[in-house]
Amino acid sequence: MLKRIVLGLIVVVVVGIVGFGVFAWRPAIGKIAPPAPAAFAPEMVARGEVLAGAGYCSTCHTTKGGQPFAGGYPMKTGFGTIYSTNITPDAKTGIGTWSEAAFRRAMHQGVARNGAHLFPAFPYDHFTKLTDADVSALYAYMMTRTAVEAPAKRNSVPFPLNIRALQAGWKLLFFHPGRFEPDKAKSAEWNRGAYLAQGVSHCGACHTPRNALGAEKRDKAYAGALIDNWIAPPLTAANPSPAPWDRAELVAYLRTGISRYHGVAAGPMAPVVHDGLIKLPDADIQALAVYLADVDGAAARASSLAPALRKAAAADRLNVGPQTLPAARLYTTACASCHYNGVGQLNPLRPDLALNSAVNLDDPTNLIRVVLYGVSAKDGAPGVVMPSFNRFSDADVAELASYLRATRTDKPAWPNLDKKVAAVRAQGR
Amino acid sequence: MGGEPGGLLSRRNFIIASTGAGLAFGFSALVEAAMDPAVPGGAPITAAGPRFEPTLWFAIDGDGIVTVNIIRAEMGQHVGTALARILADELDVAWDKVRIVHVDTDPKWGLMVTGGSWSVWQTFPIFSQAGAAGRIALVEAGAKLLNVSPTGGTARGGVVHVGGQSISYGDIVKRGGVARQFTPAELAKLPVKPAAERKLIGKPGRALDIAAKTNGTAIYGIDAKVPGMVFARPKLPPTRHGSKVVSVDDSAAKAVKGYIRCLAIDDPSDTVPGWVLVIAESYPAAIRAADLVKVRWTAGPGATVSEKDLQDHAAALIAKADGGALLDTKTADTAPAFKAAKSVLEQTYTAATVLHFQLEPLNALAYEANGVMEIHTGNQWQSLILPTLAKALGRAETSIVMRTYMLGGGFGRRLNGDYAVPAALAAKALGKPVKLVLTREDDARFDSVRSPSVQTVRMAFDGTGQILAQEHHAAAGWPTLANAPALMPKGANGVAYDPFAISGADHWYEVGAHKVRAINNDLANETFRPGWLRSVGPGWTNWAGESFIDEAAHHLKIDPVALRLKLLTGAGANVGGDASTVGGAKRQAEVVRRAAQAAGWGQSLPKDTALGLATSFGQERDMPTWVACVARVHVDRVSGVVTVQKLTMMTDAGTIVDPDGARAQTEGAALWGLSMALHEGTVFENGQVKDVNLDTYTPLRISDTPELDIQFIDSVEVPVGLGEPATTVVAPAVANAIFRAVGVRLRHIPITSTAVLRALSGKA
Amino acid sequence: MTQFTLNGRAVSIDVDEDTPLLWVIRDDIGLTGTKFGCGIGMCGACTVHVGGRATRSCITPISAVEGAEVTTIEGLDPAGQHPVQQAWLDLQTPQCGYCQSGQIMQAAAMLKDFPAPTDQDIDATMSGNLCRCMTYVRIRAAIKQAAAAMGTKS
Ligand code: FES
Ligand code: FES
Repeated sequence: MLKRIVLGLIVVVVVGIVGFGVFAWRPAIGKIAPPAPAAFAPEMVARGEVLAGAGYCSTCHTTKGGQPFAGGYPMKTGFGTIYSTNITPDAKTGIGTWSEAAFRRAMHQGVARNGAHLFPAFPYDHFTKLTDADVSALYAYMMTRTAVEAPAKRNSVPFPLNIRALQAGWKLLFFHPGRFEPDKAKSAEWNRGAYLAQGVSHCGACHTPRNALGAEKRDKAYAGALIDNWIAPPLTAANPSPAPWDRAELVAYLRTGISRYHGVAAGPMAPVVHDGLIKLPDADIQALAVYLADVDGAAARASSLAPALRKAAAADRLNVGPQTLPAARLYTTACASCHYNGVGQLNPLRPDLALNSAVNLDDPTNLIRVVLYGVSAKDGAPGVVMPSFNRFSDADVAELASYLRATRTDKPAWPNLDKKVAAVRAQGR
Repeated sequence: MGGEPGGLLSRRNFIIASTGAGLAFGFSALVEAAMDPAVPGGAPITAAGPRFEPTLWFAIDGDGIVTVNIIRAEMGQHVGTALARILADELDVAWDKVRIVHVDTDPKWGLMVTGGSWSVWQTFPIFSQAGAAGRIALVEAGAKLLNVSPTGGTARGGVVHVGGQSISYGDIVKRGGVARQFTPAELAKLPVKPAAERKLIGKPGRALDIAAKTNGTAIYGIDAKVPGMVFARPKLPPTRHGSKVVSVDDSAAKAVKGYIRCLAIDDPSDTVPGWVLVIAESYPAAIRAADLVKVRWTAGPGATVSEKDLQDHAAALIAKADGGALLDTKTADTAPAFKAAKSVLEQTYTAATVLHFQLEPLNALAYEANGVMEIHTGNQWQSLILPTLAKALGRAETSIVMRTYMLGGGFGRRLNGDYAVPAALAAKALGKPVKLVLTREDDARFDSVRSPSVQTVRMAFDGTGQILAQEHHAAAGWPTLANAPALMPKGANGVAYDPFAISGADHWYEVGAHKVRAINNDLANETFRPGWLRSVGPGWTNWAGESFIDEAAHHLKIDPVALRLKLLTGAGANVGGDASTVGGAKRQAEVVRRAAQAAGWGQSLPKDTALGLATSFGQERDMPTWVACVARVHVDRVSGVVTVQKLTMMTDAGTIVDPDGARAQTEGAALWGLSMALHEGTVFENGQVKDVNLDTYTPLRISDTPELDIQFIDSVEVPVGLGEPATTVVAPAVANAIFRAVGVRLRHIPITSTAVLRALSGKA
Repeated sequence: MTQFTLNGRAVSIDVDEDTPLLWVIRDDIGLTGTKFGCGIGMCGACTVHVGGRATRSCITPISAVEGAEVTTIEGLDPAGQHPVQQAWLDLQTPQCGYCQSGQIMQAAAMLKDFPAPTDQDIDATMSGNLCRCMTYVRIRAAIKQAAAAMGTKS
């Protein structure tokens, strides 16, 4: 997600170039009187609401317990903390005086009404793919929200990285403006999914690794990345889960937050599903699933499912009967009461850890985070909680993680787990 | 006992002395502030109309409801049910009319202690007579009300039948006028029912405390509350004894919402030296604040002591021929026999430190009201801690009252009521109610653990397979020395000793000269406060003794069951005598024989699988509970994992008052024994136990539970204790089975797979 | 301020957001049937249902149950007559009873997932609940009895 994006900021070279100022300059677009909500057609507002959900705008533009869209949400980046802006139609502190043209320029080009370049923490590199009609719908939706007076918080990005004009250079290097181009070879459903995923839903913002200047690596689309102290797993065939992400699992996951094979939407993915995608009609969820299953190469991996399930079931049975190995005992007594499935059907609310992404990723971060901090009722499987085992010692958590890795996967052991647990603990919840 | 220091030289004496109070008959005041475990929240129901209280021990109201007063703590043994059943049977009332209340520490109750599996044994005669007294008084009063002669009157199910008429107990009470009293001499002569006429004793029945334990309404010490109370969690000093607070820094704790202050405890009784209490408005705030408070101490003795230090010290004490107390075994001079011996076998056995880990962490609520210091907590030995509380608080014992809540497990931990002291001192210092709760980690660190032990057993044989003599030297920390030194009797050599730390070694086998030496591991007592833990000494003495008997059988090349039967002659010193010990070792031989038979001793079993047997008489020779256990064990030679497949447990405990309760106690005791044999144990590191919570301390769980075959010998003999004996036979039975399965002998508990592997590879 | 449902009643509570649910239930709300045993999620004495699933309340921060439905032993059945409770009563399972609220809550939730549990299922799902009195033989039998009773009923 964008809020955690590593800021792309221009360094050196271009700075000195004569004429860069001219290149970087954008005019302000005149203020308008805030339009009356009645000026927008209800269908447009409704369509905008769906799109705002697909883009889970409120997640970044709302603080914990704050007014919707009033901004102020802190995004910690490698370059400092950036606060999201107020996008309610408040004339003084929000976007009430923005014309639709100004709004469109922000979405498509990453330039504010006053001509300032926006940080790419705002994912205009994805929003640029949106159709004009969808931008209009989003504008209609935003301008009909309750205006909230909430002045912007000062970002903590240090000089000279805070010079907005430098963003123009970043754009020159990494930004590819332009609307979504459908792939004629693919189905309409696939294209709808791709349009959403690449555009408003900006999946790559979290799941695509970034370069040193914080731009997504275009040749590594969806290859997985570290984001906000979590691992956004690869969405490609490189996804390490032994069960493919096929259409059915994707639909379940994106619709309900739970995949019986892969686990639940936790961490930064939780609000994407539970606050954002929830607004999408089933057809759009299906379209996203079609597209993402294709990205995953699920069809080609389909035959791996049955053996993976068999292996998972065998691993599950390791924890019946007396346990003498300390790690096995720790797992059986602390975890199996919820995670054991027996010989029956996999119960999605008893996540199977042999299949779960967190245990199969190259990096143990997600597993450690979930063990230490749990999953709250509003995240993951709605209404259900995984408690937080943060009274366990680092050694206990490391022991559990390495036990799971060894008994549930064929993958190499995670190195230095003790230290890793301590580091994740130090990051906090 | 605290009130009579030095006056009670043996456990037996002390029990008899303590029951004296129970013989005082007459009308007692209304029982106040007692707890009824059958009632949600524990508040006893109020009596309907007038009450007839023929003795201290029970009352009947106008509805015929019988309320039995229980001075024992309820900690899972359904003790009130077992005791009330004795009384109700003799009184002849229907079980659904019976209520129990657990009373406070009014001095009228006499000595209050719950432990040693003594409750039924000790109460049986008193409650039988109390019930009989009530029945006789009611028959007389009923006859009077009906204007007939009491002669030939009987009572059945709470109704008096006399002269062709009948009247219920309730109606008699309602109409008043029952005032019969009995002198102790009269009481002692009252006829009690023959066993054949019993209606409740030995019959299935419902325990009265169970319903509340299935719906969340049972009230334990940790649930006690009073308006305006604050919460406290301790910062525990580096050593159990002698630590002193140097400085307290609570600056970080001040950020915790609800944190109030730190309180360094000044304790004239020296029960909790170096304690600092962290006081807060809520318990989670106290937990969090305590994590942030920094205290500097000067440590007392033992701050660097390790488990190895303790074991080495014990071994060194054993190696010295003098020292320790010799038990009065009549024939303790073994020297000639060893000199004459053709062969000698000697082995040393060790047992690890064990935590009580009663599931409810220690807690106590204390406050002053109406000039009385009220202490609300679960406790097993109120009479022991009251004098200490009096000393700590600087007030008379009579102005302190303890209200005993249900215990979320006792197992001997709460015989030592030390945790009540800091709560009371804090309540005094703050002038408001203080509820002290220990976290699990605090509880483990403050535990009165079962001491680690070292024992050396040796035996002398002649050339024909006869045993000439045996010696048993046991060194361990002594709980009675730490907690109630006045109770220590003197050994045959005049040295005072802790009977709880050696009992079991004075077995009922015929072994010729028999020397039993109890040695205090003074380093243990200096480092920590040893505790009585379920079955106490026999937990280790039987481990050594019953492992050794099998080793002796192996040495003599005879079957270990056959050897036991050969030695349990029931002759000489082992003939038994009074009502409690009648039958002597013959009864032990019988449980051995029956256990072996029930388990299929001698059958052929799959590879690396075998049976092992061990037997015990419980704790004290004068209150023997005869028990034998057969463990069926499989050993995995690759992993070293020992799997106990089945335990067969044969018990002769005399009359079984509450069959289901007896079974439950034996199930629990057997599994405790298995837990200590294979699963639990910790070590001292720097004067503290290393394992303080369930992530690394690993008691037996449901998946470790083997099949249990539990049987009792049908008997009408004196009922004896049941809560502990089965605990002590499992570890030696398992070790004996391992030897028979794979030929290696393990001499330390808990037995780990690592130790088995090491033994299998010959590196033991 | 955290809002959730406890035994069917709306509750809102103003405590530190990482205060364990256990203490809110016991001390703030005053339902003491839920017990404190280890505080690290390893004994099960504090087990309640959150969203119908057995959950260790000692390590569940109150913020995690925002909007959730929490049930304690007191709310498992209005009359304390849940089939699991009946079986527990019938077999006289509790000894000290301290672990039993947690055992019952764990068993009741488990039976929803495993309506006819095998010994293995019981081992794996009940191993997180320590009974220090070691009433395991009866727990196992009572679970089977409850399962049979529930199977008959439905
Ligand atoms: S108190 Fe929660 S699991 Fe032990
Ligand atoms: S009944 Fe006592 S802990 Fe389970």
